[in-house]
This record gives sequence, structure tokens and C-alpha cells, in this order.
Amino acid sequence: MRTDSASKTPTVLLGLLILGGLGVAASWFSAGPERFWANWILWFLFYFTLALGALFLVALEHLVAARWSVPIRRLPERIATLLLPVVPVALIALGAVPVLYPGSRPAALQNPLLAGKAVWLGLPFFSLRTVLCLVLSLLALAVFVRGSLRQDASRDPGFNVRARKFAPAFMAIFAFVMTALAFDWISGLTPEWYSDIFGVYLFAGGFLAGLAATTLTLIHVQGQGRLRDVTGHHRYNLGGFLFGFTVFWSYIGFAQYMLMWYGNLPDEVLWYRDRLEHGWHGITLALAFVHFLVPFFALVTRDAKGDPRRLRWVAMLMLGAHALDLYWLVFPVLGKGVLFSWPELSFAVFFLAGGLLWIRKALTWGEDMPVGDAFLRQGLEFRL
Amino acid sequence: MRDFAVLGLFDSADALMAAIPKVKEKQLGRLETYTPYPIHGMDEALELRRSPLGGMVLGMGILGALTALGFQYWISAVDYPIVTGGKAPGSWEAFVPIMFEIMVAFATFTAGLGMLLLLNKLPFFGHPILTAKAMLGITRDRFALAIEADPELDTEAAKAALNAVGALDIEVLTRPEQGPFLSADFILRTTSGIFIACLVAGLAMYGAVKLMPVLSPVSHMLNQPRVNAQQASSFFADGRAMRMPVQGTVARGYLPFGVASPEAAAALVNPLPRTPEVLAMGRQAFTVRCAVCHGPAANGVGSLGSAYGAKPANLQAPQFLAYPDGKILWAIVNGKNAMPSQAADLTEEQRWAVVHYVRALQRAQNAKDEDIP
Amino acid sequence: MKAETSTMNAEFPDILREIPLLEGSVTSGSLDDQVLGVTDRKPPRRWFVAMAFTSTLMLLGFGFIGYTIYTGIGVWGNNSPVFWAFDIINFVFWVGIGHAGTLISAILFIFRMRWRNAIARFAEAMTIFAVMCAGIFPLIHVGRPWLAFWLFPYPNQRAVWPNFRSPLLWDVFAVSTYFAVSAMFWYLGLLPDIASMRDRTANKWRKLIYTVISLGWHGSARHWQHFEKAYLLLAGLATGLVLSVHSVVSFDFATSVVPGWHMTIFPPYFVAGAIFAGFAMVVLVLVVVRESMQLKNLITLRHLEVMNKVILGMSCLMGYSYAMEGFTAWYSQNVYLHHTFLNIIGGHYGWAGWLTISCNIFIPQLLWFKKCRTSYFWMILVAVAVTVGMWFERFVIIVISLHQDYLPSAWRLYHPTLVDFGILLGSFGLFFTLVLLFARVLPVIATSEVKGSLPGSQPRPGGEHA
Repeated sequence: MRTDSASKTPTVLLGLLILGGLGVAASWFSAGPERFWANWILWFLFYFTLALGALFLVALEHLVAARWSVPIRRLPERIATLLLPVVPVALIALGAVPVLYPGSRPAALQNPLLAGKAVWLGLPFFSLRTVLCLVLSLLALAVFVRGSLRQDASRDPGFNVRARKFAPAFMAIFAFVMTALAFDWISGLTPEWYSDIFGVYLFAGGFLAGLAATTLTLIHVQGQGRLRDVTGHHRYNLGGFLFGFTVFWSYIGFAQYMLMWYGNLPDEVLWYRDRLEHGWHGITLALAFVHFLVPFFALVTRDAKGDPRRLRWVAMLMLGAHALDLYWLVFPVLGKGVLFSWPELSFAVFFLAGGLLWIRKALTWGEDMPVGDAFLRQGLEFRL
Repeated sequence: MRDFAVLGLFDSADALMAAIPKVKEKQLGRLETYTPYPIHGMDEALELRRSPLGGMVLGMGILGALTALGFQYWISAVDYPIVTGGKAPGSWEAFVPIMFEIMVAFATFTAGLGMLLLLNKLPFFGHPILTAKAMLGITRDRFALAIEADPELDTEAAKAALNAVGALDIEVLTRPEQGPFLSADFILRTTSGIFIACLVAGLAMYGAVKLMPVLSPVSHMLNQPRVNAQQASSFFADGRAMRMPVQGTVARGYLPFGVASPEAAAALVNPLPRTPEVLAMGRQAFTVRCAVCHGPAANGVGSLGSAYGAKPANLQAPQFLAYPDGKILWAIVNGKNAMPSQAADLTEEQRWAVVHYVRALQRAQNAKDEDIP
Repeated sequence: MKAETSTMNAEFPDILREIPLLEGSVTSGSLDDQVLGVTDRKPPRRWFVAMAFTSTLMLLGFGFIGYTIYTGIGVWGNNSPVFWAFDIINFVFWVGIGHAGTLISAILFIFRMRWRNAIARFAEAMTIFAVMCAGIFPLIHVGRPWLAFWLFPYPNQRAVWPNFRSPLLWDVFAVSTYFAVSAMFWYLGLLPDIASMRDRTANKWRKLIYTVISLGWHGSARHWQHFEKAYLLLAGLATGLVLSVHSVVSFDFATSVVPGWHMTIFPPYFVAGAIFAGFAMVVLVLVVVRESMQLKNLITLRHLEVMNKVILGMSCLMGYSYAMEGFTAWYSQNVYLHHTFLNIIGGHYGWAGWLTISCNIFIPQLLWFKKCRTSYFWMILVAVAVTVGMWFERFVIIVISLHQDYLPSAWRLYHPTLVDFGILLGSFGLFFTLVLLFARVLPVIATSEVKGSLPGSQPRPGGEHA
């Protein structure tokens, strides 16, 4: 029965992809380019930050020479390959810049708050930074993931050395990419607004999404009978990370809000006003629930952190919460209240089906575990 | 003297762990181990129940957060609502940091003290193991397996069982005799010790509280580098701290009272209308300046009168009912008998308002049936 | 394949090998003799010399504090508009120093970094002493410290409550909770070690004292079970706490609208800076401790190297924060932010700005080189630089932001007085006096934790797991 449904899955996904694609195309004409681009940016950022988050998990392992995560490392590596399809999505997204980003319009030169940084926000420099982000991310992907896949056959410990030496550099790349994404693509929607923590905020959400995707994939794959040697101890660590970074995201998000609320300066609070009025108050509250309260209490006990059933729905919730977070960041600038209708649904179907198809494919690349890594055994022996 | 436990010593965690299942299957009593550090897998080997600490800490943490939220909200929005920094009294954002801190404090003390006091029942100095010879090794590098009475213990069988699993050394622990700990002598000494400690601490506190406010620097708010009213000062040529008013000037509201005698004053007419505002002003001034002696009802029964020894006038007496307004004003301005002048403390308006109020009090105390509307 | 991997480990380059927890052969017994034995012996002469020096400094500081309390805080250099100066700088500095201890003892414990076992005790002790030093400053800054209990919300005849919307009150709660939790964490960890000392000492009085403070600990399995659970929970709570405490300290600044203070990056940036400064101080003290107390086999060069790596990582995080501050000063196109940033790199106090940037960002980059991470000279150089740099960072934040804000007619320079310096030195004296006392009186290494992680100390995984 399982094989039946499994063989049907790609067909269903493909069908959904096409159906979603039609909706996406239709939304350009009927809902207008602004709404089209807002949706596009949302899903572009969703996959970019998610893939970077997964790559960060891989890099973290190399950086601190962690052993426990070696057996599951192949999963975030495979998820990180989403960076490849993100490249065309990102290049297309550049079409949104003249439409949605006021800083790139000629009128910005008349605005005293924007005139000084009009060059920075203008399309050429903006595109340059995005392309740089893509190139740097792909470089990191090549070092970590391609190297790791090749190690399956070569069993060359030199990869571990290279990865360990590259990891600090990756951290710098990662900091730049996340910050540039946050400032250009999200903060840039309201270019008068600024918050110097914003890069860290996006990092917290993106890493959480990467973790959630890893956890979800692990539990899915284990459900198929693969990765049997990965135990509750490993899952517990993933659950612990999920729990910890849920708190971290809330900490950053709350601190940013609280400081702006407290200072009450007009150049800062307007951004929050947009998110607390015209129906957005409910979304803000919902975000607090699904991004913090629910996962916090779902994972707070020791047993829950290693329980696959609990982890599965929490991980799904966290992925949804990341999408909601981006929705909350992007959509208020349209100024049309809370928009959710068939264009948003089509985009969600299109991108989710596409992403799932990619992940399905990616799950066949290389061995399920990095068998060439000499530390695999230590990782498998890991106990709390 | 009953035996409490038989103790077998081992020199490695491995040997200890190997011995446990073999001893356990003989079911000689309750098994316990004493080790210098926690041993992995010991909970399963001894089939210990899971520590309930996690649930306790979670519950207390939530309680702490809610307590802090409620406390802050009640203080800031209910009991003492003050708008500061333009923030609403009940603004939850500002309560989050302390909520978090109190949550952590509650949870920490539950974890630490709950573990020590509730679960481990410490401090306790009467456990037989503490006086065992083996204790020297247990906190150093030896591992002890104890077969404890549950409630009875077959000492010889236990010794044999521990011998069989290769214990290096075997020691029998006896149950400590109850008694000396709570002897009458002990209780007497402890209570008298506590009493003396309380006495000393109380005397010290008394001395501190008495002395503190007058000692420098605590008293510094009293010794301020300025001159008080009526003091001498070398700063001015006339040697006074206070300044005289400029020649030919009068302070606002304090025009000199230009009437020479009470008889002349009798002709004065109250210039103020009898409005509720004026009466309120009169009442306020009367309460502050007059009521301590003349009493709140102006019947001469004030709180100060008896203590002071004077006999303040009963303004409800017939001669005062017939007094002209102006003569009351004269008394307020110039004083009468032992009563000092109130001129420095009441403005012209207030004086006349007091007159109105005194008239109202007299009318109220001597009300007739036809006053009832 | 399995046999192959196990042999390969030895051939691996140094960069991939696991950190050995200790050097030479150490057994549970030798560990006790080495660590707990210290308290049995008379301190050497050089200890007394050091003690004389630090306690003189401490008494000097107390003298200046007494003078301040007697005369009033007008004896300090604080004045309009720089109302906060050395006192708050020192407060933030010392609270920050404490954070390394909690990071090592709690966060690394959660991440199961077992190398932390040997240094956790000392770092925790330093946390407590640093928080004690920190607590002095707000206390004396209130002017009338004997009324400091007014800060706590208790029903009183004045019929007033403290203002819960003030970050300064949050500080009161955060710092007192931090002190209480750190003390609790430290004492729980000490409990088994004090029990060991109780059982090995022959001196009657010491035995009595140890008996009382070890509460009758006897290491039964049931006790250890609850103990370990409590320790894990405390570590988790302390991890959240350590984030919150310096965040709350940063709120003191960031909730205001003073340019240079009102920054959303402040909470995590303050936490990173605190850990950064704290690690530098721990390295400084550990170098002295391992040399003078013959603990080289337990606190190894690899320990110091890893700590130096943490310092390097934190330095990079600080670099990111500084870069974001500078970027935002420009990106915001806000003239006030811009002016404040220019003051940091070029105004009257520009030297302090550059000192901060050099000591915190540039000099620690030396630690990229393994030679610098493992050489006393270089690591002490970096640690001292970081300590100085982090003190001056708070100077930059407080004095530079305050001395010129929105109102140019209120701009003034700040001049510290002799009393300011005296109290600062005195706080160092107090800190090191307490450290010296601790080193002689209590076990400087958590012996029960190290024993549990010695090779062969745990039963080999039996049939049920493999």
C-alpha cells in the first residue's frame, strides 16, 4: 500500500505544480503585479532562508567539530541543495524591485530620508548584492555539500579538514548574506525604516526553518525505514535545537518590538503600526502563538524533544510559522489589509509542490548517511 | 540494635554495575549504591522511578511568570496607576522582563531547593552511611553497593551475596539509636541559644534604628547648607537670614488691616457672597487653622484644647451667635486672649470665608424646625 | 569499515582530533589529592604577597566608597549631561565578566562540551564575585544606599510602589535573580566536593564546618538521580537567564531615545560582549591558576586554546555588531545617529572609540594563529586587550552618547575624579581578593564532574545499547 501511494506522489505533486503554476500566472493578470511580486518575494525568501538555515546547520557541525550530527548530516545537506532552484527564483524576483521597492524609484531622490542612500537602494547596486549573495551561497554549497557527497566514494578525511577550515569563512558569508537579504529584500520594502537587529531576526527564523525541515525530513525518512541507526538521542538534540531557537527567535523579535514600542520614535513605530492595524493585529497575535507559544510548550518537556510524532507536527508548524512570519513582514506594505485568497493559495501550492518535488529528488542523492566520514561511528554511538 | 544495611565496596563502576543484577535477583532487601559521581545507567539498573523534578520546575516556572504578571499588573494598573513615559498603566510589554526573571527565580529555587529539601531530604546528618568506615572511599574513588533493610535484613545472607559478587570489603551498618539528638538538654541549649541570639539581634536592631537617623551621613538630609527661617546669618549686614520687605511695599493679599478697634470692626460687612465655593474655602481654612482649638463644630472642643490647658471660646455660645461678622474677623486678624493672630497665614479672602463658615456652623448647630425645607 | 574508522582517528590531522580532557594519568584518587589537597596545606608566600596587594587595593576602594557615601556622589565626575559614568560603566563591565562563568558552566554543559568540566567551577566562582563587584556600583550610585531596599516592591507606609515600566527596576530583578541563581548553581555543584573534603580532613573544626555545609551528602544513587536532573534543569534555566540579564542591562540604554543608545541590536550585542569580556578574564585567571597551583595536567593548554577560539568567535560577533551600528548610523539617514557615530570615531573621545575597536576587534584577530592561541604571551596580551577594550566600550556607549545629544547647548565634556578611579581599582581588588580566597578555601576544580568524565569512569556500554 505504501509503495502504491509513494509511486503516485510525484504525479500528484506534478499536477499540483502545474495547477499552482496556472494560478500564479493568472494572478499576474487579475491580481496585479504588486500582489504577484509580494507573493514571489515571500516564497523566494522562504526557500533561500530555509536552505541557508540547513547549510548553517551543516557548517555548525564542521565549525565546532560536533560528532552527534554526523549521521543526520546528509539531510540538511540535501535540503541545502534548494539553493540551486532558488537561483532562478531570485533572478526573477529582481523584477519586483522597481515595483515594490520605493528606494529604487526616481522619486526617492526627492525624499530627504532616501536621497542619501538612493544609490544603495537603486536597482543596479541592489541586484549586485543579491547576485553576490547567490554566488557566495553557491560557493558554500559546493564546498560543504559537493565535498561531502564526493567523500561517500573517496573516504578522504581531507574533506573534513577543508570543511573545518572553511566553516569560519562560511560564518562570515552567512552573516553577510542573511543581513543583506533582510535589509534589502524585507527592510527595503519600507526604506525609511531601520533596525540593526534585522539580519539576526531573519537568521533566527531561517535557521529555525532549516532545522524544522531537517527534523521533518528525518522523521519522514525514518518512517520509510531508512536511517534506522539514528536514535531518539539524535532526535532529542534536534528537538532541543528547535526548542532553543524558538526561544531565540522570540527573544530577538520581542526585544526589537519592545525597544521600538518603548522609544516610540515616529521613524520606527510606523513599521509596527502597519502590522497592528487594518486586520494585521490578528496576524501578529497568531505569529506569537504559532512561532512561540505553541512550539515552546509542545517541546518544553524532555520526552517531547525526542518523540517523532510530536516533532513531526511541531516541525510542520514551524515551517508554516516561518512562511507566516515572512507574510507578516512583506504583505503589510501593500496597504490593502490582510490579503489571503486564491493568488496566495496558488503561490503556496506552486512553491510547496516544487519544493517537495526537489526534496524528493534530493533524497536520492548520495548515501543516506555520510558513509565516508570517519566520525560517523562516533556519531552513531552518541548517547545523551 | 538492629542492622540497617550491609555494604560491599567495589573499585570501579564496571564492577559495581556488574554486581547489581546478580544481587538484585536474590531479593534480600532494598538496593542502594553510594558513589563519588553519578554513574550512567544507574537509574535503570536500580529501577528508580523518574525524578519528578522536571514537572515541578515547569509548574513553578509558569506560576512564577503568572505571579509576576499579576503582581506587576495589579500594582501598575490597579493599585497605583500612574502613566510614565506615555505608556498606559497596564502595558504588558514592560512587564515581560520581570516576568521572565521571576519565572527563572521560581523555577531555579524549585529545582535547587526542591531537589535538596523535598526529594533528597537534606540536610540530614543522621544517615548511618555517614559514620561508616567506607565513607572515606565513597566520596573519593570507591563504589559501594548496599543491601538495606526493607524492613528486616538477613545480614548473613546479604554478606554472602556481596562476597559472591566479589566485593572488596564488606561492612555492616547499624541503625543509629534514636534519642540523644532530641534530648531535653539539647532542646534547652538550642532554645536558650536561639533566645540569646534573638535578644542580641533585637538590641542591635534597636540601637541601629535609634542611632541611624541621627548619625552622619544618614542624617545628611537634615544638615543642609542653607539658613532656616528666623536664623542669624553673617551673610547680610543686618545679621539676619531673612530679608525685610522692600520699603513701602506690601505683599499681595496681605494689605494691612486698617481698622483700629473691635468696635470699629463691628461695622464691617462681609464682602464675599455666600456661595458653595466660598464656604468650601472657609471650611478648608477653618479646618487647618481653627478646628484644632475651637473644634470642627466650633463648639470649643478641639483636639489641642485639653492638652494645651487653655479654654478656647465656644463659638456656639449665645454671645457669639449675636457677634457681628466684623468682630469675628477682628479676632482672626488680631487674636483674642490666648488666641494668636492668624493674619500671617490667612489671606483676606480666606478670613472672610472663615467668617461665613463659622456662621454656617452656628446655624447648623442651632437649627430650628422651620429650617427643614 | 568500523575497524577502519577507529584506527584512522589517530592519523587525523590535529585540527580534527577531539580535545583530550586532561594530560598524563589521572585517577579519582589522585584528582582528590591534587585538587582537594590544596586546602589542607598552608598557602605559599607568594599567595600572601598577592593577597596583600589585592586586599590593599580593595581597602583603598572601600575607603573611597566610604568617602563617597559620607560626602555624597558629588565627589565623582558625573555631572550634567553625563549623569552616568564610571559607576554604570563599572556595573555593566562587571556584570558582563560574570557571564562567561554561566556560559561555561551552563551553556557548554547543555551542549555536552565535556572539556568545560575542569574549568567550570572556577568560572562559576568568578561569576559570583563579578556580580558582587557589579552590585556595589548601582548601590552607591543611588546616593543613599541605606535606603536601597526602596527598590523592592513591598507594601509600605509611603503608599508608593516602584515603577515597573522602568528598565532600572528590571535591572534590580535581573541582577538579583542572576546572583541568586549563580550562587545556587555553584553551591549545588560544590556539594559533592565538600562532602569529599569532609571525609578526607582530619581537622576537627574543618570537619564540623564541612559537615554542616555539605548537608550530609552521601552520594546515594537516588540522590544523584535528583541531583543530575536538578543540575540539568538549572543549566537550562541559567542559559535563558544569562541571555536575559545582559539584555535587561542593555535595556537600561536601549529603551531610551538617546542617539547611540536606542539600538535594537543592543540586547544580543551586549550578551556577546559580556561573554567576550568574561572569557578574557577567565583566561587571565586560569593562566595564573594552572601555573601557580600545579594544575597543568587538568587545565591543559588545549583548554586555553578552545577558550581563545571562543574569544575569537565572540570578537567576530562584536565586529558584526560594530559594523551594523556603523551601517545603521548611515543607513538610517538620521543626523543624530550619524553625529554620535562620528563622535565615536573622531570626536573628542575618538581615542576611546578607536581603543575599543582596536582592542575588541583587531587585536583578538591574532588568535587566528595557533601559535597565539597556545602561547601565554599572546593570549595574555589579547586577554588584557579585551578587558581594557570592553571597559572602554561601555565608556564609549555611556560617555560619548551622553556628552552630546539632541541639545547642543547642553553639550559638556566629562572629567572623572580621583575617587572614580579609586573605586574602579578597588573593585578589581575586591574581585581578585575573593578569587584568591576561593582558590585556597574551596576546590577550584569540580572533582565529582571530572571524575565522572575520566577515561573508564563510566561503565562500558553493555548489551542493551549496542
